[in-house]
Amino acid sequence: MPQGDYIELHRKRHGYRHDHFERKRKKEAREVHKRSAIAQKALGIKGKMFAKKRYAEKALMKKTLAMHEESTSRRKVDDDVQDGAVPAYLLDRENTTRAKVLSNTIKQKRKEKAGKWDVPLPKVRPVAEDEMFKVMRSGKRRTKQWKRMVTKATFVGPAFTRKPPKYERFIRPSGLRFNKAHVTHPELKATFNLEIIGVKKNPNGPMYTSLGVMTKGTIIEVNVSELGLVTPAGKVVWGKYAQVTNNPENDGCVNAVLLV
Amino acid sequence: MVQYNFKKITVVPPGKDFIDIILSRTQRQTPTVVHKGYAISRLRQFYMRKVKYTQQNFHEKLSTIIEEFPRLDDIHPFYGDLLHVLYNKDHYKLALGQVNTARNLISKIAKDYVKLLKYGDSLYRCKSLKVAALGRMCTVIKRIGPSLAYLEQIRQHMARLPSIDPNTRTVLICGYPNVGKSSFINKITRADVDVQPYAFTTKSLFVGHTDYKYLRYQVIDTPGILDRPFEDRNIIEMCSITALAHLRAAVLFFLDVSGSCGYSIAQQAALFHSIKSLFMNKPLIIVCNKTDLQPLEGISEEDMKLVMEMKAEAMKTVLGQGGEPTNDEGVLLTMSTLTEDGVIAVKNAACERLLNQRVEIKMKSKKINDCLNRFHVALPKPRDQKERPPCIPQAVMEARAKEAAEKEKRKTEKDIENENGGAGVYSASLKKHYILSNEEWKEDIMPEILDGHNVADFIDPDILLRLEELEREEGLRQAVEEDDDFEMDGKELTSEEQEALAEIRKKKSLLIQQHRIKKSTAESRPIVPRKFDKNKEFTTKRMGRQLSVLGLDPSLAINRARSRSLSRKGRKRERSPAYDGGDAMDVDVDTPKKKLRARSRSLSLSRSRSRPPSEVTPGEGFKDSAQKVKAIKLGKKSVKMRNKDARRGEADRVIPSLKPKHLFSGKRSIGKTQRR
Repeated sequence: MPQGDYIELHRKRHGYRHDHFERKRKKEAREVHKRSAIAQKALGIKGKMFAKKRYAEKALMKKTLAMHEESTSRRKVDDDVQDGAVPAYLLDRENTTRAKVLSNTIKQKRKEKAGKWDVPLPKVRPVAEDEMFKVMRSGKRRTKQWKRMVTKATFVGPAFTRKPPKYERFIRPSGLRFNKAHVTHPELKATFNLEIIGVKKNPNGPMYTSLGVMTKGTIIEVNVSELGLVTPAGKVVWGKYAQVTNNPENDGCVNAVLLV
Repeated sequence: MVQYNFKKITVVPPGKDFIDIILSRTQRQTPTVVHKGYAISRLRQFYMRKVKYTQQNFHEKLSTIIEEFPRLDDIHPFYGDLLHVLYNKDHYKLALGQVNTARNLISKIAKDYVKLLKYGDSLYRCKSLKVAALGRMCTVIKRIGPSLAYLEQIRQHMARLPSIDPNTRTVLICGYPNVGKSSFINKITRADVDVQPYAFTTKSLFVGHTDYKYLRYQVIDTPGILDRPFEDRNIIEMCSITALAHLRAAVLFFLDVSGSCGYSIAQQAALFHSIKSLFMNKPLIIVCNKTDLQPLEGISEEDMKLVMEMKAEAMKTVLGQGGEPTNDEGVLLTMSTLTEDGVIAVKNAACERLLNQRVEIKMKSKKINDCLNRFHVALPKPRDQKERPPCIPQAVMEARAKEAAEKEKRKTEKDIENENGGAGVYSASLKKHYILSNEEWKEDIMPEILDGHNVADFIDPDILLRLEELEREEGLRQAVEEDDDFEMDGKELTSEEQEALAEIRKKKSLLIQQHRIKKSTAESRPIVPRKFDKNKEFTTKRMGRQLSVLGLDPSLAINRARSRSLSRKGRKRERSPAYDGGDAMDVDVDTPKKKLRARSRSLSLSRSRSRPPSEVTPGEGFKDSAQKVKAIKLGKKSVKMRNKDARRGEADRVIPSLKPKHLFSGKRSIGKTQRR
């Protein structure tokens, strides 16, 4: 017991106060009422926060109770078969779903050709042009209105050089340029911060694709060399497609799901 | 000078509270009202301000944590090592490093999002960006939650560390466990260390203070050390080792000569030799404790040899400081903390040697020259052998002698008191030194004056005599009365009288009962109005009957009651002054009016009369009573309808507006319907 622990020292020498435990018990018993009083009185954001906390506690409590009840009550065994479960006699087989082994690149090429994507976000909200672009006025009298500024997040390649301002129709502001994306691998259920290689397709139109605009639902190509994915042939995959799942211009970051 | 006080470090809130503190601060301290219609620059500025403000607060809070926790490399090595021993330097540094990284990350996030906010083109977008920014900052803090919890624990522990000043005069007590170190510190300081008869009672450093030669010494009690390799030592022992290694103190090595601590002298000697490198350049004293169990002279030959070896080692520390080799006192001391033999001697020896050593070191240091060249002690050199005493004039000498003699001669009141039998027996006279024109007056009794009267005038000189007389008389009278009481219960009364007495008593009890019933029904009102007298109980007939039973003539009383009855007609009219005095205008005819009034009063009623409402009193503003009557009539008429309708009057409670504007208009956000 160090020198400064005067409370402990006092307790060691003289013990607890005669009504210490009773007071403690009472205090604990009153605590519930006090909290409910606060919950009823609190206003505004504090009230909201408190209510949320209470709700979380209650939900947790109910869950635990249910769990305990579950262990005692009798119920039907669930017959659902888990994903990817294989009967015992198939366990030692190679898991080949396709008869013919196709390389990853060939698969992607096929998909491209088909022009159809089986993607996590099949439908996207169309973005109007005046939402996408902001009209910039130019000229000495500010009367010319042929310049446009992109108001969405964009990807601009590392080797990009701007055109002379006289000919530059579309401006992609450097503040809205992104070159990294948070990519989730749907099977691994893990997220990685990967470099963007390019914008493959923007569902709103080929112009946006060429401008490198990233809106929700855009397919981008990311550098997955960090993940160490390998093709069936044994080559290391380094570029893979992913679909953007958020509105980057609102969140300040690009989130995407890897397409596998 | 650096003060080693770790009590002032601010509290480190746990991660969740940290976030709550900062976010609620942002909510409170930045504007909250914004509308879609505002200019976009204003919207951007509004949200940018929130992001920046949050970042600033995070930065401030994290900075205080980083700055207030001591950097182990900068503080005194004693504290540096102690903290390392207690909390593990690596872990500590890692935690602070994480806090630092979090601070930088948050700054970066804020910068990024402020940049993005510059491109925000709608309220929704700006708001989403703000939410994202704050969320990411909070995530960063959530991640360093464990570090914050660790730092908070360390803070609490550090605040409880004893405040040891590593640079002051220090006496350090060390030795095997259970040899009496803590008992010794309890004897010489007020540290109040726990003493128990088992090993490792003291688990950390304890500090106390003691005085020697008007200087304050810090005494440090260390946990016991076992003789084993350095790597095997636990945290408790390492505290002692740290103190021994870094504090320039006088070291008292405690030796239990009786061996009752569970370790033989040989084992203790082995410990001494294994840690003797830590005693270098420090005044070392070997203290043989528990001599009440086993005096030093009584131990065996081999043990004595070991003790002497240790003493020789300790002597080296004396020699190392330029001490004389023959001077071996204050190196090996014996004491018993139980009987308190030699405790003070040990303390004094330790303090003395420490002081000498410190002075010596100071004298050797370069700094001393700065001070020394400012000192000059002047001593006159004797020119020759001639004696030159100070010259005091003869007159002064005489005066001094006289004064001294007088002082001796004078007798104080106290002396007189002692001569006459001391306090209580003799009391000094206060009147002795009065300055009066006649010496005889001194002993006169002074009159005591109270409220302008001499108190002595009111004192009967033979009051005691009188009192005695009175008491005697009283005694006599009491005796007589006792006799009387005795006689009263006798058969003095005739049978007739006894009957009457019984009657009286019966009546009395009846009255009391009635009274009680009345009281209990709360009808103890003095007068019962006729309208409540439903049963016609209170009639003049009944009164007459009762009075006649009592033997009184009821006719007068009955007449009076009848005359007071209001149901009799014509009385009121008679009373009215308009009929009384005829015309109020002829003021000149005073006397007949008076006469009339007097007669009417005697005729009509004998009770007092208040002034009739129609009578004009000066200052009311009425010309005559007719006018006043008219005014009263008009007033009554005006309220007649209202009274009949029981309409609202002035005295009624009023709610000025039943639907106040501020409660029934505008949006409802915070507050209640009743109170906004």
